Amino acid sequence: MRRLFCACLSLWLPAAAAQESYSFDVSQFEKKPFELNGYAELKAEQFTFDRHAALYQLGFFDQPQRDGFDRGTGSLQLEGTYRQGLATAHVIAYGSYAHDDTGNDRDTRLYEASVSVQPSSHATYDLGKKTLSWGKGYAWNPVGFVQRAKDPNDPELAREGFVIAGGDFVRSFDGTLKTVALTPLLVPTTAGLNADFGTSEHLNPAAKIYFFYANTDIDLMMLGAGAKSARYGVDFSRNLGTNLEVHGEWARAASVTRPVVDAAGNVVPIEASATSYLLGLRYLSESQLTTLFEYYYNDAGYSEDEMRSFAAVVHGAYDQYQASGNAAPLTKLRTALQPAMARPNPGQRYLYLRLSQQEPFDILYLTPALTIIANVDDRSYSVAPELLYTGITNLELRFRVFWLRGTPLSDFGEKQNDRRLDLRARYYF
Amino acid sequence: MSSRPRPCALLRRLLPLLALLLATPAWALDGNALLKQLDRNLEPESYEMYRKLINIEPDGKKKEYVLYTVKKGRDKMVALFLDPPSDKGRATLRLGDNMWLYIPNVGKPLRITSLQSVVGGVFNNADILALDYSVEYNVDKAEEAGNSYVLALKARTAAVAYDRLKMWVDKASVLPVTIEAYAASGLLIKTLHFRDIKDFGGGIKRPAVMETDSPLYKGYKSVMLYSSLRARRFPDEVFTLNYLPRAGELR
Repeated sequence: MRRLFCACLSLWLPAAAAQESYSFDVSQFEKKPFELNGYAELKAEQFTFDRHAALYQLGFFDQPQRDGFDRGTGSLQLEGTYRQGLATAHVIAYGSYAHDDTGNDRDTRLYEASVSVQPSSHATYDLGKKTLSWGKGYAWNPVGFVQRAKDPNDPELAREGFVIAGGDFVRSFDGTLKTVALTPLLVPTTAGLNADFGTSEHLNPAAKIYFFYANTDIDLMMLGAGAKSARYGVDFSRNLGTNLEVHGEWARAASVTRPVVDAAGNVVPIEASATSYLLGLRYLSESQLTTLFEYYYNDAGYSEDEMRSFAAVVHGAYDQYQASGNAAPLTKLRTALQPAMARPNPGQRYLYLRLSQQEPFDILYLTPALTIIANVDDRSYSVAPELLYTGITNLELRFRVFWLRGTPLSDFGEKQNDRRLDLRARYYF
Repeated sequence: MSSRPRPCALLRRLLPLLALLLATPAWALDGNALLKQLDRNLEPESYEMYRKLINIEPDGKKKEYVLYTVKKGRDKMVALFLDPPSDKGRATLRLGDNMWLYIPNVGKPLRITSLQSVVGGVFNNADILALDYSVEYNVDKAEEAGNSYVLALKARTAAVAYDRLKMWVDKASVLPVTIEAYAASGLLIKTLHFRDIKDFGGGIKRPAVMETDSPLYKGYKSVMLYSSLRARRFPDEVFTLNYLPRAGELR
């Protein structure tokens, strides 16, 4: 009886498969003059503090002492596009509401609000707030002269743009040189416009010229002196095979100022030119393991000695505060140095390694990954295992843990957290 | 006296040669010419079209993607994701063996490789940005088998995603029926099944459905549906990194 059932099933299955039909109604996807998209996100984070770390002491010395911190954040990003003739208006708005152990926090930002006019396929003109993304690096971009710095812990996160006026002019050719594109732009700064780009009352001309030459992407870029010192750079990217890509960036800034603390606790600005670069590769193995590796040298970053001095001075000031209640040295250090030192990677030499395995064990849409960011100078590092699941249409689930390790006075050893858990659910619409 | 042969005599001398030429296809199939004909039967050299990709899991669960695709000449192609919203605005560009992926949040195109998959499942980037077969492959061997031609294809360069293809071609329509894709090691990576011949207009009559299965993804299946395929010319500048963020304006 069982054999008969199996035989019937085997006869029926191919027939059923052959009859399987699919529908595809293209009219649902017709281009519309107005489109609205976006995502809603819920994020839960748990921080485990290192109470002996310099950045914890600097940030929390005047608050109730705690070993950890929980935070829940709800956020919404809306993206609207309106088309009229040759013009396209584009807006990206972001809002978030966070609740944590210290209270609530609201944040609203206009990431982009620009109008583009495209009179031909050769030319586009842009005016308004726009996020530019120069450079080939994944975790860092030394040539990113006209954009906000990435967070290497989340390089694909959307970033707020600057108000610009610019154009994009493209020509294609037959032969070894296939494309040349020129992107000139102005990033004007006034008291109320692009205030965080640099000092005000400057036009800040910038330009990028792109070549697709001999199967290699090459960009040359410059930023004229104004709100920032003059800087110029070059980047490249090329596939060396079906599974290997290499890329690099090189940038020179005429003058960069950074605040440095001396052994006596005095904060002094140091001004110098800076030559920074990045080299990276991306390799895909036969088993679908993607390896992303980058080496970054930031000439404008802090040397190992400077970082050790900073941490030692903060510890000294903290001990003094605990002994005498004198908060002045810590307050001064916080004002002068916290913005620079609390950046994800304030040092000079870093390695970035990300291993991600697409769909292991035939589990579709699951991508486990491991990211390591290490300070080469003091050998401190962060390790972040991650699980990403995209199997439910429009829903993205991500879980990450960060462990930060390093000896006392080292980069990652003196960061505020020892550990961070991060669970994110993002629904796209 | 002229020694030139008369026209009738010339014809008599040329007839055996002409007969030999006409008889040639019967015993020496020109595989590469056949492959070129198959390419043109599938698509015009420059076109636009819409595709739906369906990944089907063993339990029947489906995930669908809709792409708008434009191609020009031998090796220029752009595919823009229209759906689902989580992928909307992503665009891939292919120029010869070079491929890039533009993700709106990232804001710049990143180089990708042909064996990666931007959609997951059985389809990889080479399937989504597939060029003409005759551009990427050379026919090593062509033979007849009943109502089909069977072609053994070898990749022209190491940059092509699959080293070898075995292709069954319907004799009457010169359209693919089944294609097996092999790695250089001889491993069968996937099998493509073409069905549902549909008249797309403009002289294009081709399979509207391509089903793919793979021994590497047992029980999984990926399906590609074709719609609104039509010949269209585009400026070369459309196929550049600078244009990729604006690919949606082509529609």
